[in-house]
Amino acid sequence: MTILQAQKIYKSYGNKLNRQEVLKGIDMEVGEGEFISIMGASGSGKTTLLNVLSSIDKVSQGSIQIEGNELTAMKDQQLATFRKKHLGFIFQDYNLLDTLTVKENILLPLTIQKVSKKAANSMFQAIAEELGIYEIKDKYPNEISGGQKQRTSAARAFIHEPSIIFADEPTGALDSKAASDLLNKLSEVNEKRKATIVMVTHDPAAASYSSRVIFIKDGQIYSQLNKGGETRQSFFKDIMKTQGVLGGVHHDN
Amino acid sequence: MTIRQLIYRNFKKNLATYYLYVFALLFSVALYFAFVTLQFDPSMDETAGTIKGAAAIKVASVLLIAIVGVFLLYANTLFIKRRSKEIGLYQLIGMTRRQIFNMLSVENMLLYFTSLFIGICIGFAISRFILMILIKITGIEAIANLHFSTDALIQTVIVFTIIFGFISLMNWIFIRHQSILNLFRVRSKTEAKIGKVSFFQILIGILGIALIAFGYYVSSRLFSGDATIERYLFFAMLLVLASVILGTSLFYKGSITFIFFLIRKKKGGYLSIREVLSLSSIMFRMKSNALLLTIITTVSALAIGLLSLSYISYYSAEKTIYEAIPNDYAIVSHEDGMAFSALLDDHDIAHTTTEVDFTISHADLHDVLGEHAEDFGFKVNDTPMIVVSDKNIDTIDLQDNDTVFINYSSSIMNILTFNDTGTVQLSGKSDAHDLKYQGLEEVYILPFRITSGGFPVAVVSDSVFHELQADEDPDLEPFFQDFVGIDLKDKADVDEAEELFHQDISQYAGNESRTASFQYQKENMGITMFVVGFLGLTFLVTSGCILYFKQMGESEEERPNYTILRKLGFTTKDLLTGIKRKQLFNFGIPLVIGLCHSYFAVKSGWFFFGNEMLTPTVIVMLIYTALYSIFGFLSVLYYKKVIKSAL
Ligand SMILES: Nc1ncnc2c1ncn2[C@@H]1O[C@H](COP(=O)(O)OP(=O)(O)OP(=O)(O)O)[C@@H](O)[C@H]1O
Ligand SMILES: [Mg+2]
Repeated sequence: MTILQAQKIYKSYGNKLNRQEVLKGIDMEVGEGEFISIMGASGSGKTTLLNVLSSIDKVSQGSIQIEGNELTAMKDQQLATFRKKHLGFIFQDYNLLDTLTVKENILLPLTIQKVSKKAANSMFQAIAEELGIYEIKDKYPNEISGGQKQRTSAARAFIHEPSIIFADEPTGALDSKAASDLLNKLSEVNEKRKATIVMVTHDPAAASYSSRVIFIKDGQIYSQLNKGGETRQSFFKDIMKTQGVLGGVHHDN
Repeated sequence: MTIRQLIYRNFKKNLATYYLYVFALLFSVALYFAFVTLQFDPSMDETAGTIKGAAAIKVASVLLIAIVGVFLLYANTLFIKRRSKEIGLYQLIGMTRRQIFNMLSVENMLLYFTSLFIGICIGFAISRFILMILIKITGIEAIANLHFSTDALIQTVIVFTIIFGFISLMNWIFIRHQSILNLFRVRSKTEAKIGKVSFFQILIGILGIALIAFGYYVSSRLFSGDATIERYLFFAMLLVLASVILGTSLFYKGSITFIFFLIRKKKGGYLSIREVLSLSSIMFRMKSNALLLTIITTVSALAIGLLSLSYISYYSAEKTIYEAIPNDYAIVSHEDGMAFSALLDDHDIAHTTTEVDFTISHADLHDVLGEHAEDFGFKVNDTPMIVVSDKNIDTIDLQDNDTVFINYSSSIMNILTFNDTGTVQLSGKSDAHDLKYQGLEEVYILPFRITSGGFPVAVVSDSVFHELQADEDPDLEPFFQDFVGIDLKDKADVDEAEELFHQDISQYAGNESRTASFQYQKENMGITMFVVGFLGLTFLVTSGCILYFKQMGESEEERPNYTILRKLGFTTKDLLTGIKRKQLFNFGIPLVIGLCHSYFAVKSGWFFFGNEMLTPTVIVMLIYTALYSIFGFLSVLYYKKVIKSAL
């Protein structure tokens, strides 16, 4: 079943005189329970795509439907409620509140749902221990490392068990051990809870955890790879190959 | 890019970005210059000369410099902090601290002295406006047009140049103490960690409350006749001031922080959006907030106190006059009274004439006053007292062994307390009368001039009065023998009557016109009222502005947080409820404590200013709260704008 459907979406920044088209007619579909990676060169519009798909930003043209709801027709208030309830985010630049401790940051999405304090605490403990950040729960964001921030951001995305998780470079600041821990966690959430995941990444190894990879170039979908029955190793090699054809990481134009 | 280009670009950019710094400057300069212009204006000599107005103005101008200085230094702190990233960047590209400082100074100087110039122009314009208000309050109309005063200009320039010196010094210290790293991070460090409440902190909180209580206690004893305190009055006042201010600061540092710690600890990391935006945001800046809140509290308390006292005196003026002069004209000799009455008749001015017959006796008041009254410097057992017959007052009818006291000055009654009942002995040269004291009545029939400034008058039955009068001790013979009170039937005649009175009658010492006295009183207080009102409003506006600026800065600092929260799906409305709470704290706490401080301050010495405390003080407090709240609302509006634009 399709949970998210985007048709002919366009996004441009700037004014009439100085206009930059970032997304140029992207069509995509995400099935319920899918784990999708989006890859592409820096500046190719991955974050922008993720933002419009997750209703944080508005498209210039086109339509986006999540579970049959047309996002472009919804009011800000409705969109906000929708995000709050159904979406989880791991942002590229962490997006932690510097006035809150790690624990308070992570528990933030729970406060709007009627979860008892005790239940919240045990949920927090479970997720924080899994991601190895339980010891730093009373520290402030400016006192922890980039990787720890990223894991905090991930824990915040998981804790309220959203139906779709949007992750922007979730492994960017992590070493390989921490990265595979996080990716395993993502896979587990994807398999056990049937959570849908849309992840942006530069790293083919990270992408190989997913079931489908979408390559973006110049604001359009360049190609797609399906894992199908392949092993992660051979899927990883396929991704490498496509990335090689795409020209690896280079700046736009 | 050359340094000069860099300066020019920064200047252009900052003019727009940091308009509040410019605003603070313009405001301060305009206000100060307006004040000094008035001070130097020849037309003010007359007003200032009528009382010790000159001294009041001097004190006021010193206070004005102080508050303006604090205000500008504070605005500058915000200004330079907001630019810390830029400064860090310059350091990163290899400029030395001295170079950066020089660059900033040149830029700052341009900004500062341009504002100074414009501010002076504005100040000159508003000084005329202020003068008009002044004329309105004092009723003095002989003020000519205002001249631009070079003295005022020079003084303003000197004062603000000195302030500029301090600002530069501050900037230099700021730049000196920053490493590149700090400059980039200046905003993201929390000032109050949870989980670190120490015993020490609790102690500080308790000490703060104790100091405030001690200050209040000493202030309530200041004028209560305590001999030790009175001997060291000035020292005691300083003590009150110091202990209350220090106590307030410790209260914020300790108690408030401690309470917040407890609340947050109890939440166990599970904060609602409201608490995220109020509690944690306030704690994040606890240290700098504590200082700021102390300053705002002190300034507010000072402003409310000053305004209350001056309003008390204005408010009481009319009442005082009506007590002190019971008729439109109070004439202290029979002949003058009859002459003036005849004069009024000649001019067809309808009036009533009331003659009050009085005598003077020895009064033994120890049973109704208590011994402590000795402290006020008169002999309780034998004090001269004016006595009248109950015949003069329609509402009072007494038995031969009763007496009531009337004609008292409210100001005196604030210090002197009479028991409800007791025995009063009135005696002439040979005979004594023991009378049952029946209480005080709010009746006024003799001017205070006759009753030694407002000491009560005893009312006795007609027969007792005649006995006392016949037996009057010649040693006590009062300065005035008779009293004639004249009231106009139609108040429209007052101008004509005034003219007649001043032509002829007033030259005899002791005769008074209520209208003239009231006018004189108003002129006397007008200038004080004005100076105090000016200061009070300045304090109000500056403290409001400081808080508002601070909140503007905070909202900008927290903008990324709003972005995150909105991304996560919290709505503008969710965020605003939290912000409202935070502002309730930021504006409300210093106001409430300031009100509390000023209440005790006013209570300790208000009776020197008038005879009615509660009404004028409450009125001042309400108006102050209303005006002050405007800044709170403005800041919420600003937050709303920032939050709306955050996503
Ligand atoms: N708010 C914005 N205003 C104007 N242009 C923007 C804005 N956000 C992004 N862009 C532009 O859109 C293009 C795509 O940006 P985007 O952040 O989506 O890239 P990305 O694929 O996520 O890159 P990276 O891998 O480096 O994160 C870039 O050229 C960027 O300059
Ligand atoms: Mg990106």
